[in-house]
Amino acid sequence: MTGDAAVHVAGLRMSFGATEVLHGVDFEVRYGEVFCLLGPNGAGKTTTLEILEGFRAPTHGQVSVLGLDPAAQAIRLRERAGMVLQECGFPRQARVAELIDQWRTYYPNPRPLGDLLEVVELTEVRNAQVRKLSGGQRRRLDFALALAGDPDLVFLDEPTTGFDPEARRRCWAAIENLRGLGKTILLTTHYLDEAERLADRIAILRAGRIELAGTTREVATRAGLATRISFTTPSALRRGQVPPPDGIDLAVRGSESVCHTGNAAMTLRLLLAWAVEHRLGDLDGLAVTAPRLEDTYLQLTGTNGDQA
Amino acid sequence: MRRALRLAARQALLEQRSFWRSAEYALFTFVFPLMILLLIGAANVGSHLPGTQIRNTTVFVPGILAFGVIVAAYVNLGSKVAVLRHDGVLKRIRTTPLPSGAYLGGLLVSTVVTAIFITACTGLIGWLAFGAVPRAGEPLALVGGLVLGTVCFASLGLAISSVITSAESAGPVAYASFLPIAIISGVFDPTFSGLPDWLSHLVAAFPVKALAQVLQNTYAVRPFPAWDLVNLGLWTAAGAGFAVWRFRWHS
Repeated sequence: MTGDAAVHVAGLRMSFGATEVLHGVDFEVRYGEVFCLLGPNGAGKTTTLEILEGFRAPTHGQVSVLGLDPAAQAIRLRERAGMVLQECGFPRQARVAELIDQWRTYYPNPRPLGDLLEVVELTEVRNAQVRKLSGGQRRRLDFALALAGDPDLVFLDEPTTGFDPEARRRCWAAIENLRGLGKTILLTTHYLDEAERLADRIAILRAGRIELAGTTREVATRAGLATRISFTTPSALRRGQVPPPDGIDLAVRGSESVCHTGNAAMTLRLLLAWAVEHRLGDLDGLAVTAPRLEDTYLQLTGTNGDQA
Repeated sequence: MRRALRLAARQALLEQRSFWRSAEYALFTFVFPLMILLLIGAANVGSHLPGTQIRNTTVFVPGILAFGVIVAAYVNLGSKVAVLRHDGVLKRIRTTPLPSGAYLGGLLVSTVVTAIFITACTGLIGWLAFGAVPRAGEPLALVGGLVLGTVCFASLGLAISSVITSAESAGPVAYASFLPIAIISGVFDPTFSGLPDWLSHLVAAFPVKALAQVLQNTYAVRPFPAWDLVNLGLWTAAGAGFAVWRFRWHS
């Protein structure tokens, strides 16, 4: 069971004093995938990650990371798993390449320095003082240090929180580079677009529980959200010269007609048959929009998500 | 175990490299004590302790040795660990497979190396400029005193690092918590006296005067500093206990 998963979590519970913050969390991260733990602030993402990284022992449940028990085998785990924590400083006076080189000495099989600089796109500033780097560059230096030991698995805790769009884009590029190296990546975020853009699979964590897990599409579909089908309202329909299609709950909103359906194929077949029957052609502006993660997420977390 | 020692040694080397590169640390640790040594030492040349044949500088130089040890072990280590903690560097180190013991051991070894450097400079200048040398047969006692002082103040440095609340206040807090005591302990003035009784008893309870007297005893004949050794032992235990109790990897 755990043999083919990089991370295996089952029945994970965590309490601080009398307060339980994780109420039985289950998920698996497969080798080579980018897995995203998505959720609002306070959902328990960082606590979950800290348990997987071996910084905290769980109150209950099974946790296995790269086949190791993180709490009991922390040092062996850290030889094979890179960790980017939310906020972590650098030694003062350090220079980029030098610091990466220092980090390489901590690992049994370090990755070559030039390689690391390239993956995180810091080759140009390799001799710069760390304190002179921008926020985005510092975050990519975080990545380089986490990669210094050429890990199989990388944990990224909210890697782009607080960044401007350009810095986020470059961080994403660096994460894509990691994926290209075949690394398994477990990242947390509260940004939907980040999850949607980067992740192979997503688990939505809210108030200490996994609400949904799967591929982006699966998550959205399983949340019970409908596919949206829209097209430009044919003038014949608008003028009442043709009847609306049977069996479809079509809303005519001026120039656009919209319907929502749980079965897109069936609805499309009906719709096109209706169009042929009434000589409406191919239905101008026909668009089929799959349920978006954002809709799922907003529906799940609602407005009280932040209080979780 | 051998691997941990090797890692600690390498970490100590890295720490030393960054120490010598950082102007503020190197300057404060070396220039400050050596400047005091030369300036106040020069003012005391030719004077003797009242009613004795003991030259002022013979007592003053070992006092500055104590001062150097305290700056290297207490101020430097204490503020360094506080800064590393508040900057999040300690937290980051914990994400690597480097054993905690090897990392902290490296910091301590680096502190000892710095203490050796400052002690050697002070002793050498004290000898060349003021002719102050340890009594015949006492160099071993001097080394023993320096080792005890370094261990004692390193444990107190680790202890104070847990009390410091920000990286910016680390240096000032470390200095402010010992300079006044050093002054009323007479470290900078061999003829310092005239404290009210209660205050001189209070000062005697702190480890600054104790270390100064242990080292002064190896330069000039004085009563065997048994109480001072006990004092240093107790402060070492208290400092180490507090340091272990309150040590945190993150702020």
